[in-house]
Amino acid sequence: MSKEYILGVFNDEATLVDAFEKIKAKGIMPVEVFTPYPIHEILEGMGKKTRITHAAFFYGLFAAVGILSFLTYAAVIDWPLHYGGKPFNAFPSFIVVTIVATILSITLLTLFTFSARAKIFPGKKAEIFHERATDDKFVIVLDPESLGADSKAVEEIIREHGEVE
Amino acid sequence: MYNSKVRGKLIEGDKSLGQISQEILAPIHRKKPPLWWYAALLVSLSMFGFGLYAKYITVSTGIGTWGVNNSIAWGWAIINFVWWIGIGHAGTAFSIFLLILRQKWRTAINRAAEAMTVVAVFCASLFPLLHMGRPWLFFWIFPYPNTRGPLWVNFNSPLFWDFVAISAYLLISASFWYFGMVPDFATIRDTAKSKIKKAVYGFFSFGWTGSSKEWLRFEGLSFVLGGIAAVLVVSVHSIVSTDFAVSVKPGWHTTIFPPYFVVGAIFSGFAMVLTLVITMRGLYKMNDFITDSHVDAVCRILIFISLIMGTAYITEIFMAWYSANDYEFALFFKTRLFGEYAFQFWAMFIANAVIPQLFWFKGVRRRMWIVFIISIIINIGMWFERFNIVVTSLSRDYLPSAWASYSPTWVEIAFFTGTIGMFITGVLLFFRYIPMIAISELKSVAKFDKPNNGQLKSSSHE
Repeated sequence: MSKEYILGVFNDEATLVDAFEKIKAKGIMPVEVFTPYPIHEILEGMGKKTRITHAAFFYGLFAAVGILSFLTYAAVIDWPLHYGGKPFNAFPSFIVVTIVATILSITLLTLFTFSARAKIFPGKKAEIFHERATDDKFVIVLDPESLGADSKAVEEIIREHGEVE
Repeated sequence: MYNSKVRGKLIEGDKSLGQISQEILAPIHRKKPPLWWYAALLVSLSMFGFGLYAKYITVSTGIGTWGVNNSIAWGWAIINFVWWIGIGHAGTAFSIFLLILRQKWRTAINRAAEAMTVVAVFCASLFPLLHMGRPWLFFWIFPYPNTRGPLWVNFNSPLFWDFVAISAYLLISASFWYFGMVPDFATIRDTAKSKIKKAVYGFFSFGWTGSSKEWLRFEGLSFVLGGIAAVLVVSVHSIVSTDFAVSVKPGWHTTIFPPYFVVGAIFSGFAMVLTLVITMRGLYKMNDFITDSHVDAVCRILIFISLIMGTAYITEIFMAWYSANDYEFALFFKTRLFGEYAFQFWAMFIANAVIPQLFWFKGVRRRMWIVFIISIIINIGMWFERFNIVVTSLSRDYLPSAWASYSPTWVEIAFFTGTIGMFITGVLLFFRYIPMIAISELKSVAKFDKPNNGQLKSSSHE
């Protein structure tokens, strides 16, 4: 981390959210907020949206169509076999495998998407701003350049309940 | 907006967030586990070894070493397979259904329940594998282009559905469990003193830092996985039940089977969760996190499920009479209720439908040792249920000439003992190396009883 950042460190959720909103009211966007658990005000306030649910829907759609067509291809077109006089294209009994395999595909693909998008993968080295952000501290990371003339006011907001580091 | 006064405190003792991580991580951070841990590991590993020996005999000599015969082809192996899968059900059911119902108290228990799931499903999958007789050819069940035709597997067969369902369930519950642990591994990484622990848990935490970007997508992920796994939980055991229900044996060929199996699975799984968390409370003093009211809540769920089980048993008996089907009637009244297997039937009925009703009494729910014993009794009862289903129907077929009896050989018993050893080993390793309570989730509910921490504006939670 060659660049200098201002860290606002808080002890609990309520004071963090309060400071976060006051800083945002000044028109300053924190670079990042680190918390031990998800806080919905922050997740919404940071203005980022995740499309992971949409991705999951399309994975499911394509997986279901793909699996069903594979079953039909294998059992009807490629090598049809009689099983107790049932029709080759025993559509209802293909549904069982389709459902389960679709669920499996959605899960695995969504996990990979999460891993790629959130950049959480094996062997990654964590860029830690504050050692205790995964333990009991709530940390707002601010870029000093974005503060400009407001830097005094922002420090005051943070100091009201937290600490500046 | 989902806060309610009804549930009260979720964590006893007004702990700070730092304290929560410390206390939960204490078993991981301490240098050596206590003596009993080694003793228990030794016992469970020797059970596991005994099981391995039984597996060796099964593979090297053959299925003939088991007590199964032509009529009762599904003996001990399938009983225990269904039993373990049932236990494995609770973990995901617990997390998912309580997540959907927004039950915050799940946070203290879901990690243990999911760990139990993964280990139990592993134990379960060994049974059908070995029951194949030639387990080294097990890959023939995969539908892949091959030189045998290309002969595809029979997609109409419940046994194939079962294979797909079990492998999907194992993969999904394991990944669900693992990704839930990533933030906690990061906490271990950042609080550990030793370099090795830092490096190992650092690797497993996948570079997690707790930034809002990560949490945002993490939430999206758990939303997707939660929603999708709810379908899975219901479908997997329904599919296991079709192994029986799609056949035409008396006592199996009924439409009640899928719901009956799913409820039974959740019943036995919740009982095993109780066994596990009471052990955790006892051995690791987690009483502040897994409070009496947590145990109380699980007991209340068990009363309800036990009532459903009782209803299902009685419905089956009623339908056997009401259907006026001779075979069905003969099976239920001459074999199950008052016949060769009457002991197993009544053991099942009393253990599952009668004894859990003791949970109506607050005095019972408050006494941990009684709850513990009842939870074990339920598990034994559920084992008898599977025995009852698998063996009785096969032993009294349509043709009296095909009638047979079944009792297991020592190889089968050793195999089962081995899986119990494997389960206990897995649980012990879990106690030692993995945070047994989901720390980050627990922290989010730490101030549950006083949403805005007594100061500033109220925060919404959820």
